Amino acid sequence: MQSRGLASAMLNALVLLVVMALAFPIIWIVMNSFKEAADINAYPPVFLFDPTLENYKVLFDLADAEATNYGTLKIEFFKPVISSVIISIGAVLLSVIAGVPAGYALARYEFRGKEDLAFFILSFRFAPVLLVIIPMFQFFQAVGLYDSYLGMIWVYQIVTLPMIIWLSRSYVEDIPLEMEEAAAICGAKRPQIMLQVVLPLLRPGLVGASLLVFLLAWHNFALGLILTAKNTPVTVALLKLLNPGVSFYPVVSAGLVVSMIVPILLIMLGQRHLERGLTFGALK
Amino acid sequence: MAEVSTSKLVKTYGAVTALHGIDLDIKDREFIVFVGPSGSGKSTLLRSIAGLEPIASGSVRIAGQDVTDVDPADRDLSMVFQNYALFPHMSCRGNLEFPLKSEGVAKADIDSRVEIASKLLHIEQLLDRKPSELSGGQRQRVAIGRAIVKEPKVFLFDEPLSNLDAKLRIRMRVEITKLHRQLKNTIIYVTHDQVEAMTMADRIVVLRDGRIEQVGTPHELYFNPANQFVATFIGAPQMNLVPCRSVGAAGDQVTTIQVGDGAPTPLPIESAGQRESLTLGFRPEHVLFQDPECTAIRFELKSDVVEHLGAVTNIYGQIPVENGEEVDVTASSHSDVTLRDGTTLSTWVAAENCHLFRSDGTSLTRNVIAPEWN
Repeated sequence: MQSRGLASAMLNALVLLVVMALAFPIIWIVMNSFKEAADINAYPPVFLFDPTLENYKVLFDLADAEATNYGTLKIEFFKPVISSVIISIGAVLLSVIAGVPAGYALARYEFRGKEDLAFFILSFRFAPVLLVIIPMFQFFQAVGLYDSYLGMIWVYQIVTLPMIIWLSRSYVEDIPLEMEEAAAICGAKRPQIMLQVVLPLLRPGLVGASLLVFLLAWHNFALGLILTAKNTPVTVALLKLLNPGVSFYPVVSAGLVVSMIVPILLIMLGQRHLERGLTFGALK
Repeated sequence: MAEVSTSKLVKTYGAVTALHGIDLDIKDREFIVFVGPSGSGKSTLLRSIAGLEPIASGSVRIAGQDVTDVDPADRDLSMVFQNYALFPHMSCRGNLEFPLKSEGVAKADIDSRVEIASKLLHIEQLLDRKPSELSGGQRQRVAIGRAIVKEPKVFLFDEPLSNLDAKLRIRMRVEITKLHRQLKNTIIYVTHDQVEAMTMADRIVVLRDGRIEQVGTPHELYFNPANQFVATFIGAPQMNLVPCRSVGAAGDQVTTIQVGDGAPTPLPIESAGQRESLTLGFRPEHVLFQDPECTAIRFELKSDVVEHLGAVTNIYGQIPVENGEEVDVTASSHSDVTLRDGTTLSTWVAAENCHLFRSDGTSLTRNVIAPEWN
């Protein structure tokens, strides 16, 4: 009994260590976002300070940003957050609409080259994005998709679609074929079977997969950097805060905190499904 | 009227042929059971009739209509699956309503039909629960309920009781039989359990390796099996098989056989060729422990294991055959046989209870009038 208590204490200590290692950068950033510029570079680091909302005001242009060597910066951080929301949610929706039927087909039908096709789809995740992006840049400018939400949603499919297809394939495989057969015998036609039986059974898994893929889209950097100018996602907007010669760290920290809020909100909303969706499939 | 028939139905999986040209006629309101060991094609045949399996050639007719190329949804049948296949995201009521909503039945009609079905199956209290909150037997009832609300011409059951425990299986067996009497639909029922087949069926179809071995009433299959396979498949404990040879015939209605060095015994079975190697079959329940004073074959049974089941005693042992060899036999007795393991006792089998099989497994015709059942 005693040795078990000791083991559990040690385990708890280990968990605490891991939590601290994982949480420290986040806590540090949150702290920095409430510090004044002078406190940021202080050595040894300051843990007790008078919190200020100044950085957030600068971020949303409620206060003037510091005058730089290049003139006064206007940040308008609200815009990239909205852009990221539109692009990421749009990308996930398009992926779900296109990917779930594809995943279903891969799960339920036998056809020649099926596994090759599935692998080909996944291989989009292998290619270094930067390699693809240079020709993409020219192509997007030529067809007028450069700096458009539509273009970004489309190109984000490289990130989101393969995952949705592969995850929904495995979730469909978890639904016993008998369910669909039973529905067919009950007199349901294909569309009805899909909408009333398959999709509701896929839902928990699909919500989890969508959240996961949303995070991938939200954190993508390279695509937005090259293919947008004004409608930049939040990741690229953060980079622009790192202006040369200016101490913008507190404002960048505030921007990082803001950029975390949307994913955190979504995860809290879908947490129940996230657990169910990623641990075991859609059923049983 | 809902006859079901298949004609030259062939089903293949790649290079493997699962059904070799099945010809079968099922009558209206008949309770027919497909029985056979696993891999015999019984479920495949059922699923082909349901339209769930595309068939290679042949045709399926339901109520006189060729439905070979008709969608399962339009064949006017219901099916109960082995794993129930209830929709887990719907309540039991939702499950029962599903086939009616699919067919666009009016709301008031749906309610009354769901009520009738749930009363019939005693599941009124379960209607608002999800399938995951039900026991196996309750799920089975809901699955049957979902099948009957549709009021189909034909019911298909695919091993519906195999996931239930032994006690519940017997109860549901009786209930399904009762249900058939009430609803008077055509029922096609698949099982690997010959007891289910014998107790429920009007007629049994015995399948093996994708071919029909015999179609007949339980009574016919028991008394006049077409071949050795059917003879051993139907009946439990299974029929004993003992090698023997024919040593003479008196007319073409009698075959005299000899087992090992035993006395030649005339059997009322169509005559086989002289000195032909045959297989003698007799059921454990026909082994007698006293001389029956009629024509009978006598064996010296060396008992191994004696099982007292209360109503029945099963004796497992060996009897000598040719060249000093022995074969395993089973004897059942309803009278209380007091016997220790390892003793040898005289047993008899009346000539009229004997079966003979040729070396290819086919039966020689018995000239015995089967006693009436009822």
